[in-house]
Amino acid sequence: MIDFLAVYGENWDNWGPQIYSAIWFTLGLTITSYILAVAFGMVIAFGSMSNSKILRWMSKGYVEFTRGVPTLVLLFLIYFGLPSVGIVFDAFWAGVIGLTLSMAGYISEVLRTGFQAIHPGQREAALAVGMTPLKSFRYIMLPLAIRIILAPMLNMLILLLKDSSLCALISAPELMLTAKDIASSTFLPMHLYLLVGVIYLGLSLPMSFVARRVEARMTRH
Amino acid sequence: MNAEKIQLYAETLLKGAGFTISITVVTFIFAVLIGLTFGAIKAYGGQGKISSSNSVRELMIIISKKTAIYLINIYIEVFRGLPSLAVLFILYFGLANAGFRLEPFTAAVLGLSLIGGATLTDVFRSGFKAIHVGQREAALAVGMTPFGAFREIILPQSWRITLPPLANYAIGLLKETAVVSAIAAPEIMFYARNLVTKTFDTEIIYMLVAVLYFCLSFPLARLADRFERQARVGEK
Repeated sequence: MIDFLAVYGENWDNWGPQIYSAIWFTLGLTITSYILAVAFGMVIAFGSMSNSKILRWMSKGYVEFTRGVPTLVLLFLIYFGLPSVGIVFDAFWAGVIGLTLSMAGYISEVLRTGFQAIHPGQREAALAVGMTPLKSFRYIMLPLAIRIILAPMLNMLILLLKDSSLCALISAPELMLTAKDIASSTFLPMHLYLLVGVIYLGLSLPMSFVARRVEARMTRH
Repeated sequence: MNAEKIQLYAETLLKGAGFTISITVVTFIFAVLIGLTFGAIKAYGGQGKISSSNSVRELMIIISKKTAIYLINIYIEVFRGLPSLAVLFILYFGLANAGFRLEPFTAAVLGLSLIGGATLTDVFRSGFKAIHVGQREAALAVGMTPFGAFREIILPQSWRITLPPLANYAIGLLKETAVVSAIAAPEIMFYARNLVTKTFDTEIIYMLVAVLYFCLSFPLARLADRFERQARVGEK
């Protein structure tokens, strides 16, 4: 056990800088994708609740599509497939686009169920007292829905963090790939994969802790 | 871009589909077994309070049950926070380096089952918890054993709550098996990557892969929707 841990001490000067920059890359990837996925998911959620049949149909179709196609396939299509039709993304943006596309469908479902759980009378009342649809959304719907969607939205962030490891396979220099590179040059796979495992846990455990607290708080009433 | 080529690609990919399906099915079975067992322990093991009137034997039982729940919770936290790729790499490359060489199939099933079990434990637990305690008490009162009450009374009633998330888990699992190609398990993605390096028809091949996964998961998605509709019937 001591021998096992000593390896980290001996190599930390060498591994540390690479691991640090990989952590930042992973966080950048996760947060950028999350922001875009929430924005896109919002659009899809509104589409699936709109009065237009075409919009509803398109949103439904999109959710079905992302529900059935693995994230890895999307990433490969974007990173390896699109260049052959002349569209080239670097690994970071290919990762962001792939993760956004695959996550937006799930996020839209979270948002949709959140908004649909609110009694339609709330919105009607807001419109009846003269609020614009935008205002009724901003001041009435959103504050009411937030307590339903906050915990699942945090869980989506954890899911996204874990999914960002898939970008290792499209050569984005994030945690998993950095570990793989160091492991293949030092022949210490167990040390490195355990190390990234611990780092992923260190990033996701606080989030899941917060999510659980939020959930307990929001469902109290 | 001719039909023959596409047919050839599709046939090659279908060879991997068998492997994808078998990983999914075997993992699903193991994950359900883990989830059922741990879920039942979490739902029913927490009963009994430590007080001065307990005999030593009772105390030991209560403490071991609480320890079991504590360990299960740690297991859940760990495997829900780890990316599947990290788990697979530890099991496949890490263990091989330490002298335990696992087959890709074994490593894949082991890793994905551990991850799935962590997800399903709470699914089953909340399913069992949703059944009114009176049901269990009544079953015990008419002389059923705790296991009998669980199997004959609680489990059949809890399916209504657990089936929709179970079906959704199955869909997620099917998609997740694509990751297994990274440890050289010959499933759909693995064949796709081989084909690409040989033919460079990247976009067609990955498009076919997407279609194939979609076709595999579509029936499951319909099943999940049906379970969800059925679960809602009694609610209103």
